[in-house]
Amino acid sequence: MTSDIMIPFYQALTEDVTALSAPQDSLQDTRREALERFAAAGLPTLKTEAWRFTNIQRFLKEYPYEFSNTPATTTANVADEAAIAGLDSYRIVLVNGHLQASLSNLPEGKGIHIGAMSASTDAPGFSKWFNQQKHLSTESLANLNTALFADGLFIELQANVVIDKPIHLVHVYTSDRHAFVQPRHLWILHKNAAATIIESTVHPKQEAVAFANSVTEVVVLENAELWHYNVQQGAENFRNVNTTAAQQGADSRYHHFSFTLPNTPLTRNNLSVILKGSNTETNLKGLYLATGSQHVDNHTFMDHLQPNCNSNEHYKGVLLDTANAVFTGRIHVHQDAQKTNAFQQNNNMLLGDKANINSQPQLEIYADDVKCSHGFTAGQFDEEAMFYLRARGIGEESAKALLVNAFSHDVTDEIAVPALQDYIQGQIEAIMNN
Amino acid sequence: MINSNEIIDDIANKEYEFGFTTDIEMDIAPPGLNEDIIRFISAKKNEPEWLLEWRLKGFQAFKKLKFPNWQHFELPELDLQSLSYYAAPKKKKQLNSLDEVDPELLATFEKLGIPLNEQKALTGVAVDAVFDSVSVATTFKGKLKEMGVIFCSFGEAVQEYPDLVKKYLGTVVPHSDNVFAALNSAVFSDGSFVYIPKGVRCPMELSTYFRINAQNTGQFERTLIVADDNSYVSYLEGCTAPMRDENQLHAAVVEIVALDHAEVKYSTVQNWYPGDKDGKGGIYNFVTKRGICKGERSKISWTQVETGSAITWKYPSVILQGDHSEGEFYSVAVVRNKQIADTGTKIHHIGKGTRSRIISKGISAGHGDNSYRGLVSVGPRAENARNFTQCDSLLIGNQCGSHTFPYIESRNKTAMIEHEATTSKIGEDQIFYLNARGIDTEKAVALIVNGYVKEVLNQLPMEFAVEAQKLLSITLEGSVG
Repeated sequence: MTSDIMIPFYQALTEDVTALSAPQDSLQDTRREALERFAAAGLPTLKTEAWRFTNIQRFLKEYPYEFSNTPATTTANVADEAAIAGLDSYRIVLVNGHLQASLSNLPEGKGIHIGAMSASTDAPGFSKWFNQQKHLSTESLANLNTALFADGLFIELQANVVIDKPIHLVHVYTSDRHAFVQPRHLWILHKNAAATIIESTVHPKQEAVAFANSVTEVVVLENAELWHYNVQQGAENFRNVNTTAAQQGADSRYHHFSFTLPNTPLTRNNLSVILKGSNTETNLKGLYLATGSQHVDNHTFMDHLQPNCNSNEHYKGVLLDTANAVFTGRIHVHQDAQKTNAFQQNNNMLLGDKANINSQPQLEIYADDVKCSHGFTAGQFDEEAMFYLRARGIGEESAKALLVNAFSHDVTDEIAVPALQDYIQGQIEAIMNN
Repeated sequence: MINSNEIIDDIANKEYEFGFTTDIEMDIAPPGLNEDIIRFISAKKNEPEWLLEWRLKGFQAFKKLKFPNWQHFELPELDLQSLSYYAAPKKKKQLNSLDEVDPELLATFEKLGIPLNEQKALTGVAVDAVFDSVSVATTFKGKLKEMGVIFCSFGEAVQEYPDLVKKYLGTVVPHSDNVFAALNSAVFSDGSFVYIPKGVRCPMELSTYFRINAQNTGQFERTLIVADDNSYVSYLEGCTAPMRDENQLHAAVVEIVALDHAEVKYSTVQNWYPGDKDGKGGIYNFVTKRGICKGERSKISWTQVETGSAITWKYPSVILQGDHSEGEFYSVAVVRNKQIADTGTKIHHIGKGTRSRIISKGISAGHGDNSYRGLVSVGPRAENARNFTQCDSLLIGNQCGSHTFPYIESRNKTAMIEHEATTSKIGEDQIFYLNARGIDTEKAVALIVNGYVKEVLNQLPMEFAVEAQKLLSITLEGSVG
């Protein structure tokens, strides 16, 4: 117990764990162990290296959060707020992590298992892959999630299953009291399977604040391919700590995109990819557009364990007003991971007078036959480009929007779903014109 | 109840215990670190009261500080109580001719191209009349004095220029800065003091090599360089010759102050004993180096070539306080066998229009572990600050490690910061190209490595650069193939 807010926290937790674990006996031990680890380590402080620039305790103390695990429901109107124009998809709606079947359209077919986590504990993939990534157990908030999660979405695609349309996963957070919610997801793609998953977040405008601490485990096995987009539309009364732990088998491809848009005061994205097979491809792309006093923290970890893998990471940020951004990218190349190509870039545009950025691009390399690099820049609008546009009769605001759009191109251009690409570009324009 | 008289008695007795007159004859203080030893050192050096107090403050800070745990290596256990903190400068054993010197050492000198007479001076052979280092040094000293440049040992400066020392000591690296700096503040043995008066451009490179009394300054060296308005100085530390030393821990402190329009260039070549193949017995080089550009348009530039020591752990830093001041850091760090280097720089942009440039080249071979760790911070007042950082790593062999941990913090939107880092190995095609032209692999590697570090070596004074180049080739000998 390292901090004063821990004690009431912990008491609430122990009660909750007891209540939760009764119907799900198989997880009782896992939950208790995770809770013990959480209690031993405590919440991260500013002295915890990985949380040096994000004062998580301050955000947790902001409101008297309650652990809310009771299933809630929402309406079609609310879920529609996340709609992406022109997107043909299977929509799945989760309310505080609980699947709402009445609003969802689940893809069906041989070898497709999509359903609530709570109803999937017997699935063969569940016991094999649930909470199996070692480093998850070293992260305080992930332990808390493991101990306390109520539900989430389980996806298992058997070998050779290809989902024909993107799955649009709409997370709705709603509660009449300030809630601390712990959604937990596990997605498994077996050999040669392929899918596209687009996540969106909706938080209906109401007084209560929701703090989501979600964990998604992604397993992409041999020669499988997953396109994973996380669109974080913001809301004033929403706080988001989002952990994605992915692992890849041989010849697999994993493409992860995160788009952090304005309004949510706190966004922390923990993203880790462990390469367990060789000849893989990994793309991690991020775009954060922060306004007001928003705090956006992207924390990524690429673990190269096997030879002949390629990883490409590119995070771009536009910071307005007094927005605060943090980027930590660690690439670890183990001794066996020869012929690794690992690249990382973090570019920032500081447009607000008091905006600031803290960046730590790190390389840790133990193999010699590798090509690795990282780069960082922080700067402003290019004056010459600005002048060029202004000289051609383009107003200052439009010119800025145009330049920000161009700056984001490295990320937006890689989006493989045209409707989503239009949507993100539209969002950038709308924000810049405001 | 202890009354005040008793306390006074107590203190009086204590001082008596270490009476100045008797102990002054002693050459080595008993092992152990405590207040009495610090008083003893201070008394030995006949220091004024304020300096003793400053040392004691350093000791208090040292007791409170903890050893860090964030570094990328395991800190070996240091038994600071078993060290002796004072030893009178020892006379080196005089040898009659070079025949008595370790042939391996001579072979190294040969490769470095060090002139015969210098070889003699370095190994402690009596120097003949042609090359009299003392007279060379005296001529230089006279010239410096004429221009008003003060260049002397720290102890001398405390006696002769106490006001200058008092004004600047600890202003850049405070006595409580970090655990090793605090230890140094408490027990520093000696070091160098440099003062360049207003408007003077120091006519020669100041090197510890030419300073008499410079030998054996011990493991807790302290250097203070002050460059007054519109002055310039280039300072060299260390030499390419392999240095053996019985002290395992070296915790030195270097402070630089640059006033308006002043420029200080500080170059280091470090080749301390790295230990045997398993890394046993090498030197721990834990140094705190920091400069402050106090005046406007001042400049501080660090250049370092680090090839020795079992562990090199230092971050020469620059605080850019004056408007339009400039900081530079050029580094080459080579590790082989079980050597470890965790080095880099910190640049704090505080003033307007401040600029900094960081070029770091790491080379890892054998089982060596090389880390670049750096901080570039831009404060809210640092309008139009500019930074460029490049840190490259070269890996030779698949047992070594190379890491980069930069920290970048920007609080000003007008700042332009660029950082790039790459890691790669020597291309087989490059080696093949050179092999095909009759250059053997070892020489080819030396050639490629020298090309790779050229940007840094170019910053060194010419003679130094030539030696450093040869040093690199020797260091990497046997690590390929």
